[in-house]
Amino acid sequence: MATQWIFLWLISSIGCLAADEVITIKGSQKLPHFTTCRSPEQETFSCWWSVGDYTNLTGPGMLRVFYKRSFKNTGGEWNECPDYRVGIENECYFNTTYTSIWVPYNLELRSENKDVLYDERSFNVEDIVIPDPPVNLNWTLLNTSQTGLHYDILLRWEAPPTADVAKGWITLIYEVQYRAVNDTEWKVMEHEKESYLSIYGLKTNTIYEIRIRCLQLNFDKFSRFSDIVYVYNFVPVTKESTFPVAFVLIFIVVGVAIVLMLIIFTRQHRLMMLLLPPVPIPKIKGIDPELLKKGKLDELNSILSNQQTYKTEFTNDDLWVEFIELDIDDPDEKLGHSDTHRLLSLEHLKSGKSLSMKDDDSGRASCYEPEIPEMDSLPFNVNLMEGNPEKACVLNSEGTVPNPDLSSPNATQAKAEPEKAKIESSGSEENMPVRPYPLIQTQMSNQSWANMDFYAQVSDITPAGGVLLSPGQQCKSEKTPEKEKPAEAKKYQFAMTSDSAYTSEIDAKKLSAIPATNENDQNPEKDLSKENCISTENQSEESPYTANETTVITMPPVSDYTSVHMVDSQHSLLLNPTAVQTKDMSMQVGYLTPDQMSSIMP
Amino acid sequence: MQKAFFQVSTWFFVLSQTWGTLGYPLECKDEQGSSNRCISIPLDKLFDRVIQHVELISRVSEECCSLFEEMLVPFPLQPKTSRGVNICITKAIPVPGSKSEIQQISDKWLLHSVLMLVQTWIEPLTYLQETLNRYDDVPDALLNKTKWVSDKLPSLEQGIVLLIKKMLQEGFLMTELQQTLTHFNKQPEVLESTLRDYTLFNCFKKDAHKIETILKLLKCRRNHKLSCLLY
Repeated sequence: MATQWIFLWLISSIGCLAADEVITIKGSQKLPHFTTCRSPEQETFSCWWSVGDYTNLTGPGMLRVFYKRSFKNTGGEWNECPDYRVGIENECYFNTTYTSIWVPYNLELRSENKDVLYDERSFNVEDIVIPDPPVNLNWTLLNTSQTGLHYDILLRWEAPPTADVAKGWITLIYEVQYRAVNDTEWKVMEHEKESYLSIYGLKTNTIYEIRIRCLQLNFDKFSRFSDIVYVYNFVPVTKESTFPVAFVLIFIVVGVAIVLMLIIFTRQHRLMMLLLPPVPIPKIKGIDPELLKKGKLDELNSILSNQQTYKTEFTNDDLWVEFIELDIDDPDEKLGHSDTHRLLSLEHLKSGKSLSMKDDDSGRASCYEPEIPEMDSLPFNVNLMEGNPEKACVLNSEGTVPNPDLSSPNATQAKAEPEKAKIESSGSEENMPVRPYPLIQTQMSNQSWANMDFYAQVSDITPAGGVLLSPGQQCKSEKTPEKEKPAEAKKYQFAMTSDSAYTSEIDAKKLSAIPATNENDQNPEKDLSKENCISTENQSEESPYTANETTVITMPPVSDYTSVHMVDSQHSLLLNPTAVQTKDMSMQVGYLTPDQMSSIMP
Repeated sequence: MQKAFFQVSTWFFVLSQTWGTLGYPLECKDEQGSSNRCISIPLDKLFDRVIQHVELISRVSEECCSLFEEMLVPFPLQPKTSRGVNICITKAIPVPGSKSEIQQISDKWLLHSVLMLVQTWIEPLTYLQETLNRYDDVPDALLNKTKWVSDKLPSLEQGIVLLIKKMLQEGFLMTELQQTLTHFNKQPEVLESTLRDYTLFNCFKKDAHKIETILKLLKCRRNHKLSCLLY
């Protein structure tokens, strides 16, 4: 054991020293050295050497190769090369007798007299195996694609004849490479253990070249490449092959078009629905698309005004109606069809006292009908587009539209009943908390419509959207039996709270501010109107709707008519220059004189 | 102290071997009336499986070798010296290195040699598995592969035992193991650890190739008796 160890060291040291010695002595000239050692089949091997710059050593016998195989424990003995082959290069050939695998070899290149060691090698034979290339490459066509553009081939080859693969002495794996002739890079396939391989997807009318090389399984030295085999598949490109395709396509398109036409023209509704589903048209919830057609804006307006979305517009600062059309110069309209009437939707009230539902159609249908057959649409109407008397849907005080579909008329009626009683008991108490819509209606119905002034000029519009009418004429109006034209100005406060209780408030205000104008029931109306006159003030003070109360409102005389100057960008009416618009939310409080307004406004 | 340790380990190994042998499913009977739990594999398939197994082990061992060499690159000591001398632990198991010689050897001898080779390597690989952890920045791949091979050897051993049973119709024979064991145990004293580990890897790679080649030759001989024996 110890001797073994010492021997090892000796060998290594000698080897190192020798190498060093040679280098230092001979300088920078290239020494004779082994170039390569190779075994083609793991049964024989050869080593080649070159003389380097020492051309004087070229002759046979000048350089000698010694080898040693280490068997078992013995170090082995040095023998000379069994077969010097003289050819192009100096070669030492070991045949099968002298070749053993799994055994380390040591080779030395020495001078003739064995004194000088030029080079040495050590290896195991199985590690220097470099097989011969595969042979007999051939290919067969497997199939061609239907388009005639691609095809597949089956490539076959044979193992190199020297390698004894059959007995299993050596196991080879193959690497196939191919490329189109004008390509620069080879496509490398996966290593193959068998002697055949299918190559798919080659293009027709292109020349391919294929080559193979092999290596031993679990080792890393490749053989040289085999001879190249050329693969070519010629598929004539005929016009006929493309012709049917185009023809078929055209046929299909025409057929489909014909079928569609038939379906459309024979109006097979089901099929049409199936093939050409209808494009969804713009739709607003709760509104029949029929209303969107021409000429039915009154219903639409009523509906829209009842909509929450529409409502929220009004709750913004400056939003008012798009515009309010004022037919100042149109006296030919029906009585009471002034703008005021339109604004107040008081035309129904003219006929009177009864709050029975008129038969005129406009605008109520979608909102009110099921609910309040007897109620009149009293609250404020917004005239959107035309001068048609429109009725807005009334929102209840909570701000939600009483959905006609959902709520039962009975329920609302029932609701109205007790409220009615309640109101009557309270009399002219105008302190109206938030109440449902029908209640207001009843209230209104109880009160005399005759007291309301049909002629009221809009003097200003509050930021909240309330319309400030000209004040002062309320109480006077009771003297006049009838008003056919807007002779007196009434100022109506239409304050709006930030939420959607505006109509109710308007109703309340209207209620109180109504002067007696009705021609029919004058006397009682007068009284009421008086009350209303007073109550107006009171109400304007006490009204719970108003957020910010201003000072006690007086009623100075104001011009009867305040013409609309123009509509500004915020859709508010610009009235006389004296009446200045304000954006102050506090202005939504009821009754303000122009003087007050001017003082408050910037 | 060391001697005692070696003795203990030796006995442990021997005992484990015996235990292992007793655990082999040699009682799988093909006759009727006996336990029909086992399914007898045809010899060809068994050969193929075992050869596949060995090929895989051989490949992994080769990868381990190269990984270990890469790891040793910064090391100044290149074990060039070990290449020239046969210091593998299994040199006691004489297997000739040429085809012609091997073909002259009987099946029985070859199979037993293969079995011995496999058995000899079970313990060194376990040792290698442990010793690798002592290296700095040992790659995980190397650790995993070593572990894998170490785990696979016992099953390979089982396969070869089965092969022996089928081919030679004989049970398992306890061959001399002590010799190889002592060989291995002595090695660590002599060689420096890195060199020793490198040698172990290389030797194992060589032996795996040996087992593979022998089994393939045996398979050919089994299938085509005449043509395989011809040179």
